[in-house]
Amino acid sequence: MAVPTIAKGPSPTRRAPSRGRTRYRPSEVAWGAAFVAPAVILFAVMGAYTIAYGFSLSFAKWNGFTPNWRWVGLQNYADLLWADPRYAPRVRTAAVNTLWVMIAVPILTVLVSFPLAVLLNSVRRLKTVLRSVYFLPQVTSGIAVYFAWMYVLQPDGAVNLLLRSLGLGSLQQPQGFLGNPSTALPTLIVITVWSSVPVSMMLYLAGLQAVDPTLVEAARVDGAGSWHIIRHIIWPLLRPITAIIVLLALRDSLQGFQTFLVMTNGGPGDHTNVLGLETYRLAFLSLLGPTLGLSSALGWMLFVAAVILAAVNLRVMRRVT
Amino acid sequence: MSTETARPTAADAPATGRAAGRARVHWSLPTVLARVAVGLLLLLYAAISLYPFLWMVSAAFKDRLEVVAGGNLIPHRPTLQTLAETWSELHFFDYFLNSLKVTGLTVLLVLVIYSAAGYAFSVLRFPGRKTLYRLFMVLLFVPGVTVLLPVVLLENKLGLLGSHWGLILPFVNGSAPLSILMMTNAFDVIPGELREAARVDGAGELRIFTTIYLPLSRPVLVTIAVLTAIPTWNEYLLTRVSLNNPGTFTLPIALQNLQSGAVQHYNVLMAGALIVVIPVIILFVAAQRYFVNGLMGAVKA
Repeated sequence: MAVPTIAKGPSPTRRAPSRGRTRYRPSEVAWGAAFVAPAVILFAVMGAYTIAYGFSLSFAKWNGFTPNWRWVGLQNYADLLWADPRYAPRVRTAAVNTLWVMIAVPILTVLVSFPLAVLLNSVRRLKTVLRSVYFLPQVTSGIAVYFAWMYVLQPDGAVNLLLRSLGLGSLQQPQGFLGNPSTALPTLIVITVWSSVPVSMMLYLAGLQAVDPTLVEAARVDGAGSWHIIRHIIWPLLRPITAIIVLLALRDSLQGFQTFLVMTNGGPGDHTNVLGLETYRLAFLSLLGPTLGLSSALGWMLFVAAVILAAVNLRVMRRVT
Repeated sequence: MSTETARPTAADAPATGRAAGRARVHWSLPTVLARVAVGLLLLLYAAISLYPFLWMVSAAFKDRLEVVAGGNLIPHRPTLQTLAETWSELHFFDYFLNSLKVTGLTVLLVLVIYSAAGYAFSVLRFPGRKTLYRLFMVLLFVPGVTVLLPVVLLENKLGLLGSHWGLILPFVNGSAPLSILMMTNAFDVIPGELREAARVDGAGELRIFTTIYLPLSRPVLVTIAVLTAIPTWNEYLLTRVSLNNPGTFTLPIALQNLQSGAVQHYNVLMAGALIVVIPVIILFVAAQRYFVNGLMGAVKA
């Protein structure tokens, strides 16, 4: 990857339109190498090395302190999936919770963001202001906003107050929404949807503006109502965007856990433990236990699941409207 | 903005179609009701979007007694004291500078490294170009948590753990796939004739890159900057396990420490949260035009 010094100036062999498929201009090859070198070097250290390291670690037992790894083959994977009674049941609970998140978040995100984008696209006044307001949850997404949610969701917090003043006192949660095992997971799902709606809405909005207005106009002339137009023209046209949104939501639900770590840390009990969080805990929160290999193994299973999901998602969305 | 992609027949249709539509609006009762309903729904979601922020601001301006009492969104005795104390006595100003340093350097490196890579992938022809590009795209699917542990172990070995560079380098690398994707797409739509003409005039690749390709892609550069800056500013997972020295803390960690303190004062916690959130909001409002158009352009590409 050494970069020789390059004589500047127009190349004598300039073939503008027909770039040879196999023949490269030496100066261009050198420049290409120079331009990608920083990205590749950084990736080699921070990406390739760590990925390879993590992958091999998933076949070993190690607590991070002893000088040597103990190679155990596929034992870590087996322990997590069924073999070890200390880890397998926890992983199963986390997997079920993750599954709920993966089902609920994409569906709810689409159900909220698509109508929202259609409505927003139909108004002229206040459009940009509303768009910015809707975007706030996305740009601020992080620990600060999670703390704000914890504040409003606590036992004497604003949400309980609001429910009481609306006459919905029976829906109040005296232990707080995050303290009650049966409401903690749904609450976290709602917050995840709340923070993933902005980008989805923006993507739909972009799609809506690319829809050929003559199509809509023609349908209206033929007597189609708004509902009909949305259901049978706009929704199918935006199918690729729905596919992207569902894929992003699935990926985030499968791998994301920051909300969970900050707001409940998996509790109460293990009622909001998810696979990403379990991976994090095995890596950083089990102190001296030899669980680093387990963490890596779980991480790689998440990676495989993400790749399978992406493939299935693209295929299914291509067929179903 | 949308006319570039539209076909000639469609290009002039929107104007006439929209004008005709506006002329035909009847202010009949159902239309009015429908409009009011739409307006109310839109405002309702605006309220939902703002909900936690309103309470965050509210609590940050309350004193200790009032925040415990809860109740009103509007503080009875609004005070700046909580914010002022958090900013100076709790050293949030120092943490703010740390966050600024980490985020600024990360964004700068991302822009320099991946615009160059995007230029190579889009414009230059060299062996292994496609393979390398696909390799970066596969990275999109590697979960952050999977590489988090190896990154920490590696940095421990290199002596980077605990320093700000130990955060910046993984953050930069983590934003590689998306940045390369967006830069390559942006450079792809710049006509190759521009480059050929510049070459005839004797410009080298570096010159073409910096004087033609970069200025033409400013909206994408801003979009990438914002898309990198926001998650970096809020980053918590790697930061939490790598920073030990309070002198190096960034805002999210400082905020976390407020919460895990012995006594929880929600007015202090929310004041800290407000300090974390406000720069991001300012950045978003300032760059919003680029940001929104950039995102929309990314969909069309």
